[in-house]
Amino acid sequence: MSGAPPPLELDDLHVAFGGNRVLEGVDLQFGLGFNGLIGPNGAGKTTVFNVLSGYVKPTSGAVLKAGESLSGLSQTDRVKAGISRTFQSPKLILDATVMENTLLGRHHLFKWGHLAELLLLPQQRNEETEARRICMEMLDRFGLADDAHKETGDLSLGAQKIVEVCRALVADPQVVLLDEPAAGLGADDVTVLLAGLRELVAAREICVVIIEHDLELVTTMCPEISVLHFGRIISQGTPAEVTSDPTVIEAYLGAGFELSDEAAT
Amino acid sequence: MAVTETSASGHPLYPPKPAGWRSHKTLISSVAIFAVLAILPWFPVLAFTGTFDTGNDFGAGNMAFVFAYAAAAVGFNLLVGYSGTLGLAHAGLFALGAYGTAILSAPPECLDFDTCEPVVRAASAGYGWPFFLALPVVCIAAAIIGIVVGFPAARLKGFFLAIATLALGELIVTIIRLDDAVWSGLKTNGGTGKQVPIFQFFGLRPVTSAYFMALGALVITFIGYVILTERRLGRTLKAVRDTEIATGPIGISATYYKLVAFGLAAFSAALAGAAWAQNSAFVNPSSFRTRLLVFLLVVLIVGGLGRLWGPLIGAVFFVFLRQELQDTQKLLFLLIGIALILTVLILPDGFASLPDRIRDSRWAQDLRRRFKSVAVKP
Repeated sequence: MSGAPPPLELDDLHVAFGGNRVLEGVDLQFGLGFNGLIGPNGAGKTTVFNVLSGYVKPTSGAVLKAGESLSGLSQTDRVKAGISRTFQSPKLILDATVMENTLLGRHHLFKWGHLAELLLLPQQRNEETEARRICMEMLDRFGLADDAHKETGDLSLGAQKIVEVCRALVADPQVVLLDEPAAGLGADDVTVLLAGLRELVAAREICVVIIEHDLELVTTMCPEISVLHFGRIISQGTPAEVTSDPTVIEAYLGAGFELSDEAAT
Repeated sequence: MAVTETSASGHPLYPPKPAGWRSHKTLISSVAIFAVLAILPWFPVLAFTGTFDTGNDFGAGNMAFVFAYAAAAVGFNLLVGYSGTLGLAHAGLFALGAYGTAILSAPPECLDFDTCEPVVRAASAGYGWPFFLALPVVCIAAAIIGIVVGFPAARLKGFFLAIATLALGELIVTIIRLDDAVWSGLKTNGGTGKQVPIFQFFGLRPVTSAYFMALGALVITFIGYVILTERRLGRTLKAVRDTEIATGPIGISATYYKLVAFGLAAFSAALAGAAWAQNSAFVNPSSFRTRLLVFLLVVLIVGGLGRLWGPLIGAVFFVFLRQELQDTQKLLFLLIGIALILTVLILPDGFASLPDRIRDSRWAQDLRRRFKSVAVKP
């Protein structure tokens, strides 16, 4: 193991809602590039994300980003610290345009306040234009540039999920948490989404964590996969290691799962 | 400006605007409408309505009430329509603006017992501030109160929020009703009411002065509303309304933006209340009870929640009904109730959405198609 601390680390994380113990001592390290987090429904995957983004306070344990503890930071502070996320079902303003929804992701990066806005200061307008340029480039990367000024509610659910991914990415994060980004997407949308994500990971040093039920997607995208089962990590490793692990096969995959050729290489 | 407004890939960064004059539709229509409203006292083109005959004091006064209610509703619109926060302290803050400016700008108490009668003294005494010092001070104070109250209220939702803020609004009115014996510094003259010193612009008559005060309040709130809602604040408030659980992970503090909305709404309510008091020349606590709040809600909903012209249209509708049915107050409530039910059923987006509804109706589309085919024929 090299000297630099991992981009994201979960240290003995426990979460309980009353008597319901959701996470029971999760130790995880996520590296740069793609990381997969899989497991059956109710395993606590989304709870891990909720803890990371500050929505759920862990009963004990800590979350470290590049070696620094995030505990005590509010949800908005965590976004400023470089963690952004998406949701299983998109949380967007349906009667605002795609561009406006994407711009929300850059909200915390604006320097000029609302008073400057009220006074119509040109600096504020320039800042807005620059933010729009960054958002437009991101939308273009994911094939949504032509829909940028359409109402978000008019888009398909798949496109809405991609808008949410864009909103998370324009925040210039170092850690991106994607909660089932491909669920509900058509095959074309998935191709565009994955191509865009790969391009981005190649260009920037970011850590992407993907929760996904589509195993083929996870095994082809992520060199490192963790399996969560009833609040515990039961396996961690490369796709080949994880999918051949008997405990994973018993708990989640079932017999007969085979890696696709692309993932096996 | 050297900043280009297309991306490297050639996509426009701002929504494409229609060509020609239509690109400035909002600006042109607002300037035109406010210009007409500004010359109404000299050109009473609405004389045929009777209620809004601005040629006489009665009509000008009614119109000024329209502006004051509309100005209050614009702020209410920002709070309820944009941030989705049902804060019901609006009537109380309206009262704060009315009483605050009246008391601060009234002449100091006269101590010469030979020349002033005690009753008159209590009803008209104040602190002798210049009106245009009292007005911003009161509006900012109202905004601060709105924000302070917003702190606990921003953690509440739906009904609980409504009840808590309603209680605050009532509390303000109750404090105003306190007897001088309890807190003489307030000079609210208890429950009997207070005379309002009228600020007069350049020798204009009091009614015309109040007319412009109210119009000014409406223009200020209107401009603020247009600028702020079409930019970053507007979309952020919408995010608080529509994606509340997600605002934190996006990097937006929902509490902070609810407080901003509370503050702006309170500011507009106080400004409108001050203009209202200038026009009515006399304020009484009973004018600001829950009934005013219900009226403001009616103005907002009948006009159109979240619509630019909704508050003005709603206020015209409301003041017209109130004046026409002045002698039969019970009928007024009945008709307003019916209007509210009908609006919610037939035009859920209010009267302000009527042009859009007509334009998009099948009948209008058919008509346009026919006109087009006629025009195309040689």
